Amino acid sequence: MKKFIKSIIFLIIFFVLWTIIFKVLWLDKTTIGYFYDEPKKSLDIVYVGGSNVYAHYNTTLAYDLYGFTTGIMSSDSQPSSSVKYLLEESKKYQSPKLYIIDLAKVGDDLGNIQDGQERKVIDSLKNSKNRIDAIQGMLKYTNIKKEDYINYYFSFLLYHNKWKNINSINIIGNKQIYKGYLFSVFTTKIEPQEIYQWDNNKKIELKQDNKEVLEDLIEYIKVNKLNVLFVVPRRGYINNAMEYINTATDIIQKNGYEVLNFNILDDFKVDFDKDFYNYQHLNVYGATKYTRYFSKYLKSHYDLPDHRDDARYNSWKQEYERFKSNYNEITTNNFDDLLLE
Amino acid sequence: MALTSLVFAVFCTITVAIYFIVPKKIQWVVVLISSVIFLFYNNLTVGTIVQALIVLLSSYFCGRLIYKYKENPKKSKAFLILGILLILGQLIYLKYTNLFLATVNHVCNLFNMDYQFQFVQRNSLIGISYYSLIMIGYLVDIFRGSTRAQDNIFKCALFMTYFPILSSGPFIRYEDRKEELYGEHKFSYESMCGGLVRILWGLFKILVISQRIGMFVDTVWADLNTYRAIFAVAAILFFPLQLYTNFSGSIDIIMGISEIMGIKLPENFTVPFASRTITEFWRNWHITLGAWLRDYIFYPLQKSDVIQKLNKKCKKVFGKKVGKKIPLYISMFIMWVAIGVWHGGAYTYIIGSGLLQFLFIFLEDILGPISKKINNKIGIHTEVFSYRLYQTIRTYLLFSFSMIFFRAPSVSSAINAIKSCLMLNNIGTLLNRSNLSSLLGNIGLDMKDFIILAGAIFILFIVEKLVLKGNVRKKLFEQNIIFKWTVVYALIFAIIIFGCYGAGYNPANFIYRQV
Repeated sequence: MKKFIKSIIFLIIFFVLWTIIFKVLWLDKTTIGYFYDEPKKSLDIVYVGGSNVYAHYNTTLAYDLYGFTTGIMSSDSQPSSSVKYLLEESKKYQSPKLYIIDLAKVGDDLGNIQDGQERKVIDSLKNSKNRIDAIQGMLKYTNIKKEDYINYYFSFLLYHNKWKNINSINIIGNKQIYKGYLFSVFTTKIEPQEIYQWDNNKKIELKQDNKEVLEDLIEYIKVNKLNVLFVVPRRGYINNAMEYINTATDIIQKNGYEVLNFNILDDFKVDFDKDFYNYQHLNVYGATKYTRYFSKYLKSHYDLPDHRDDARYNSWKQEYERFKSNYNEITTNNFDDLLLE
Repeated sequence: MALTSLVFAVFCTITVAIYFIVPKKIQWVVVLISSVIFLFYNNLTVGTIVQALIVLLSSYFCGRLIYKYKENPKKSKAFLILGILLILGQLIYLKYTNLFLATVNHVCNLFNMDYQFQFVQRNSLIGISYYSLIMIGYLVDIFRGSTRAQDNIFKCALFMTYFPILSSGPFIRYEDRKEELYGEHKFSYESMCGGLVRILWGLFKILVISQRIGMFVDTVWADLNTYRAIFAVAAILFFPLQLYTNFSGSIDIIMGISEIMGIKLPENFTVPFASRTITEFWRNWHITLGAWLRDYIFYPLQKSDVIQKLNKKCKKVFGKKVGKKIPLYISMFIMWVAIGVWHGGAYTYIIGSGLLQFLFIFLEDILGPISKKINNKIGIHTEVFSYRLYQTIRTYLLFSFSMIFFRAPSVSSAINAIKSCLMLNNIGTLLNRSNLSSLLGNIGLDMKDFIILAGAIFILFIVEKLVLKGNVRKKLFEQNIIFKWTVVYALIFAIIIFGCYGAGYNPANFIYRQV
């Protein structure tokens, strides 16, 4: 018995050390990872998608304008095959009134995604059956061999090697700022772009994998009776993305769901000379226009609560103030003036 | 199934768990089933089943017949020869066809004949070189009367395929291991802890040291024109350490698993790099292979009529002292060629781990007395630290040199490697800062890796020193719990964090697995 207890204590200490060490070794937390930091059932909207989500939508500004909270589950070039699992994950912690799904990547070749795009999703998910399902469900469309799935089930097989890059942030811990919105010196850059012309009539049949993923997602949404809005961000598109999105839009609309395409809205205007930091991403000026328009749209179309007088949501206000202060410092302008435009 | 893979860890865990759950009488059946799974893992074909059956049935039936006719030496010997021929025949067919074809091609070249044989691909089972020799030893032991034949074919199969030793040994003898293999074993907390610590130490040696050195050595060997001079020398000097940490680390894992199951295996290494001569080195390196070849090749040769007759003739012609040495060297030569051939079906192995080792031992034997006389005359103390260090370094350098051939894909490539060490032109350019950092960058190791490597080698050195003084694990378990656990946790996390495994690394396969 004494030996048995000794073994149990040994294992407990081992797991404590394991947890501490790998918390330090884990780097590059994505917004998906930060999603878990939000208190349970505190989000009114969950917004899922690639980098357009965290670069275009300023969650703190939307909160300041209308008082509803938006959680972001976004990562670079997020594969469309991950969306279902992200919805499932968010369902475990939040009961949002609305899910927003970014459609920019709906036609991207799933078999050709780079290692890292799927990792940013999978590695950010907490260990659970959903994580296992996500690994199997996402990787089956890639060229990753089944015997290599083990590197996804056990992330330490990859991350153990990151001891070389440990810095103070890893040791003291990193906190999400601006509630998931990406703001930095980089996003204040103004890079003039060629105006992208959207044509609703141009369509290409979705590849079999993409079609299967989309249909599977719609089925999931139906079965779980989720309130979902699909959006197509305003930006430049390459590799027939527009044609695929138009086809996907038809499929989604046929199933009774709304698609809000910012490329064809008459009353939403962004300036391709001033509002982008690269061809596919709005800068802070474009993002402000997008957020103001979109949050107003959401407030008027959905029954979203206003938490601005609720002390439990003070962190949202604080993050908005932090954003404004940093914006003012970096740009030497006043963000409130920008809102007046 | 690499010994350092997660699959193997899971496989062993399940095996050990079932082993201690089932009635003790059938524990050996659990090990047999696991061994069969391990043997055919990813390699289950009609051909591989036939291979295994040839060895098993030859060993089992010939063993029984040798034992049955033990009073009739002629018959008994006939069955021994038949058994050996069958086992050796399949081994030669599967492993050495290309060596034979290469030899024929060389001969054809020599006589300017156009014909060249194409090399063939043979799919052989893991551990074929181990279990074939082990079963030959089994037949010889029955013939000699040192053991009796196993009546149960399944028990015979377990002896042949005992899974921990399939990938890298050690060689076992039936008489020494039968009680443990087929006996009943109670779960022992102490054996489990001892076994696990030994496994951890093996993993540390393979994943932290060997794999890291391997990244350097492999990169240099892949491009000896770019990585010349000091890089080539460093790769050549590092390779024995890579080989040792890989090989002895694998043995540690194997011994650890067996220890948990209550099966004690013979040690295969006793700090070989502390050896002062090549002769001593081979007493401490791959000990069980040396013992097998001594018992089943060297001694029988020495006792054979041919050698005995030669002995007498040589004594007559060259005198007693020199005359008795000539047949001895002939037997040694044959044994070392056999060691070389066993290591692989290529000339590089025959030269590297056979002929050169023989040459070194031969020279040690010839020059030893002369050197002793000179040392005495000029008053050099041989039992002082500095002289012992010189001898140890000399032994390491000689072994490193021989391993150039072992490591090289061909003899010409081994010669290129030696030439590369001597390519000292533009050495300044080679070693200038930007070139150096680019070359090191291509290796995939940075300064932090080299620091970890240096630290790990230092720990290895300390542990090996302690091994020379006694049982390190026993000493560790005598310590207070805080110290003991700290060491074990440090070992576990050193492996997990600093080990070279997972995405981006090749599985840490045992270097001898190709055999």
